[in-house]
Formats: sequence, structure tokens, C-alpha cells
Amino acid sequence: MNAVANLANLTSLNDERLLIQAAQSDPSRFAELYESNFNRVYAFVARRVKDREEAQDVTADVFHQALRNLGGFQWRGVPFAAWLLRIAANALADRWQRAARSVEVPAEDGQIENEAGMAETAEVERRAMLFQLVDRLPNDQRTVVVRRFVEQKSIREIAQELGRSEGAVKQLQFRALETLREQVRKSHE
Amino acid sequence: MSNISVYDELDQAIDQMLQPQLASPSFPQRARNGWGPQRRRDPGTPSQTDEGNIRELVELAADLRDLPRANFKTRLKLELEWEAAGRRVSAGETDQQSARGVAPASGEILPSLFGKNWAGYPVRRINFALSLALHGVMAFLVGAGFLMVKSYVPRVAPQPYVTVRLDPYPVRIGSHPSGGGGSGGAADRMRASAGVAPPAAREQLTPPIVMHSMSRPRMAAAATVIAPPDLAVPRTQQIGDPLSALTTPSNGPGVAGGIGGNIGGGVGGNRGGFGRGPGAAGGCCGGPYSVGNGVSMPRAIYAPEPEFSEEARIAKFQGEVTLLVTIGTDGRAKNLAVVRSLGMGLDQKALDAVRTWRFDPAKKDGRPVAVQMNIIVNFHLF
Repeated sequence: MNAVANLANLTSLNDERLLIQAAQSDPSRFAELYESNFNRVYAFVARRVKDREEAQDVTADVFHQALRNLGGFQWRGVPFAAWLLRIAANALADRWQRAARSVEVPAEDGQIENEAGMAETAEVERRAMLFQLVDRLPNDQRTVVVRRFVEQKSIREIAQELGRSEGAVKQLQFRALETLREQVRKSHE
Repeated sequence: MSNISVYDELDQAIDQMLQPQLASPSFPQRARNGWGPQRRRDPGTPSQTDEGNIRELVELAADLRDLPRANFKTRLKLELEWEAAGRRVSAGETDQQSARGVAPASGEILPSLFGKNWAGYPVRRINFALSLALHGVMAFLVGAGFLMVKSYVPRVAPQPYVTVRLDPYPVRIGSHPSGGGGSGGAADRMRASAGVAPPAAREQLTPPIVMHSMSRPRMAAAATVIAPPDLAVPRTQQIGDPLSALTTPSNGPGVAGGIGGNIGGGVGGNRGGFGRGPGAAGGCCGGPYSVGNGVSMPRAIYAPEPEFSEEARIAKFQGEVTLLVTIGTDGRAKNLAVVRSLGMGLDQKALDAVRTWRFDPAKKDGRPVAVQMNIIVNFHLF
């Protein structure tokens, strides 16, 4: 399956074009494009920077630039995400200009130039989906996931904060990961 | 195998994944080799299937380390919405960093004062400054209010609202003898003898007489004096002058009928008339008139407002004082008496004020007469 086709999984191209046109005439509609592409952009950036703060910083830059330049965006049948990832790649390149590191990104016309690029895009999609699935977890499981993996707290700390036993927190952690794995599998089927 | 063991295995593996310096060998190597060598196995240890399961979950957990912070997505969205609405949140790289979750430098005081928000909500400097100013004004007003209340000495400006009601006090109408009138007589040598006035009537057909000169009058009519018919006076058989001390029957030295020493058909000792008492016209028994029955109401032409007493002013005491007053023919208030007291020194204030009042006196048949009436003085604070 073409990687660009993967990018278009969440929103059909036609719907996306309508959303872009709406946002171009009314910038407040940009929030819908933001919601549908946030995880993708963040996952793309997070794989290329050293820490979370930098990933958040670059992601914010990408969306600010996108909002400012949305009026100049021309629809060519390519997913909006490709344009955002191009902006992200440029932002990363600017940051790494001194380190002379290269960034593998989809071409602006949506074509992936080599096999490694396709694998990279697929991995970005997988991570974006994973991050999105975390938002859909039950509250208690999502809380444990965020505190354990984002805030990197111990089971004991989480148990104290939530007022539950350590065994219960471990169980929630196990179930959350199992749920995420099942959801990812289903999405690939 | 119990589930608890699987949970512990997974957590132990995640601990090693999150703390790579403690994990030996590295995460990929351990993922390939399994987690067995580092753990202490017991009879309930996970099977090979569980180990594969745990490995997959740990790999998934490794990806979750890159999750954004919980509020980052919402905060960025809010920031974009503000920007889309044409409201620049805050300028400068530092501001953007703060909005993205970078903590302010340690020791920085009130970073949001300068637009460097760390609270997860975009802040504009002007908003913060306006809020600060508004709170300052409110604090000033509250403080000033407290000071004013604390230093306030109760002082109520004496602004009495005085209503002067010159109409007769209702109870008095018809229950008090009409005054004035009197005189008359039959040219006797002696003053009128003692007795009571005959019944009152609005029109007099026959003046009262003590001794009848005509034993058989052609048309008999009861002797009356001019007064309100409901006038209540003591009744005895002997008609005469109520003010006289003589008991020898006499109509008095007056003329024109009646009993007394003057001209008229009344009872009394003055100028005559058809009443009772020493006054003129047809009244009875002396004293002032009451308003009504041809007696006009006196009109106040000078009525300064009474003062509030200090005691009543402090207590914010209000009410009415009813005075019984005789308005003389000279327009002055005389014989003042308190009919309904209010207290708090207001009675005396009402008396003092009404004594200074001047009236256009009451009139009967175009002539000024003294009337007795009630005056209600209202004391009201605004």
C-alpha cells in the first residue's frame, strides 16, 4: 500500500479539501485541521529530536507557520499532512543547520522517493495512531499511561497519587498496553 | 500462573526500559533475549508465551515515552485559536516556549506579568495590566469604604417633614360644646340667674328665658340656643346662665330676649346673640368655637417647621404629635396642650414651633372668632 494512501486514512481527500477551503476563508476553522493532523506531525518530529520539549517546540512552530501561510496553500490533491510534514522538515532543518543533519520527508507532491522513506512514513503513521489511541483509553488507564511514560513516575508514586494499591496500578498499566496493542493490530488488519 | 506475576514482570521490564542505565544489556538486546536473566523466577513465573507478550507490550511502551505532555495539545490549540482570531498571544521566542511547556527561569517573579505565561493559558500583557489595575481600584474602594464606616459619626440632618392639618380633630367634632354666643336678657335689674342653657338647635325660634312674661304664648316653642344639635350639656329644670352664681330667677339686664346682660337671644353675660356664654352670637358657655357649622378653618400664614430633638435625631425616631390649640382672633396659637404625645423631646419641639405660628383666624359670619382645633405635627426623617 502506498504510504501517501496511509496518510489519507483518517480523512478523505475530498473532506480535507473542504476543510482547507473553510479554514482559508475562516482561520478559526483551522482547529479541525489541527485536530486531525496533530499526532502525525508530533510523531514525525518526536522521532527526530532528542527530547519531548524540543518535539513540542517544533510541533508548535509547524502549526503556527501553517496557520500563517494557510492562505498560500494550493490544493493539488495531496494530503494536507504532507504539507505540514514539509514545514516540519524545514523547521527541523533550520534547527539542525549547524549539525548538518538531514531529514527524510515526503516530497511535496506526496511521492515517497525511496524505500527507507516509505518505511519512515509508515512508522510515523503507526506512532500517530498510537498517540491517538491513548486519548481514547478509559480515564484511569490513560492517567496511568501518561504518568508512567510521559512523567516517568514509579508505580509507587502513581499509586500514592491515585490512592490505589500498587497492584491495581500495575494491572491498569498492563490493561492499557494490551488495549493499545489490540487497537493497533485492528487498525492494520 | 497468576496474573499478578505477569503484571510484575511487565512492570519490571518497563522499569528497565525507562531507566536504560540500569538495564544491561541494552533494550534491543534484552528484547531479543527475553527478560529472564535479570529476574528471580518462582513457581508462578510467566511462560514463554507470556514473555513474548510482555516483549510486545514493552516495545509499545517504549513508543509511549514520546507522548506529548497531557496539556500540550490543548494549549497549542488554544494558542492557535487566539492567533486565528487575530489576537496575537505574546510575542517573542521566550513567550512561545513558555506556552509550549518550558518552565520559567527559577527566581523569576510573576512571569505572566510580562506575558510569559506558564499557567497553560495564553496571556497578553495588556490584559494582565488591566486586571492588576482593576484589582487595585477595587482594593482601594473596599479599603476606603472600611475607613469611612469606621470614622463615621452618626449624624442625621434634621429634615423634619411637617404636616399641619388644620381640620378639626375628628373626635372633637360634636362632642365639645360650641363656644361663643351668649347675652340677651329681658331688661331685668338683676344679672341672669344660674342655670343651664336650653337645648341646642341650629335655628332659634324662641330665646331662653328664666321667667315667662307671657303665661300663654300663642305659639308654643321650646327655647333653644344656636349650637350643633348634638351638643351634650347637663340638663336640669332650671334654665339660666351657667356662669352665673345667682340663684334668684332673672333673665338678666340684657335685651332682645335670652338670658344675660347684653343684646341677643342666647345665654350669657356679654354682648348678646343667640348662644350661650359670655361671647357674641348664639353659642354657649364661653370658650372658642370649633371649626364647622359656619365657622371657617383658620389658615396658617406662617408655620416654620419644628426642630428635631437631639435624642430623636440620634435614634432616628419618627412619628406624630397631636396638639390641641386655640387659634385666637389675633391669629396666634394659645392654650396649647399635647393630646397625643410622641416623646423623645418632640412634644416640646412641636409646642415651641406651633407657638410661633401665625394664622388668618377662623371666621363666623365674616367676623374673626377663636376656634379650638387639633394640629398634628409630623416628624419624619428622610
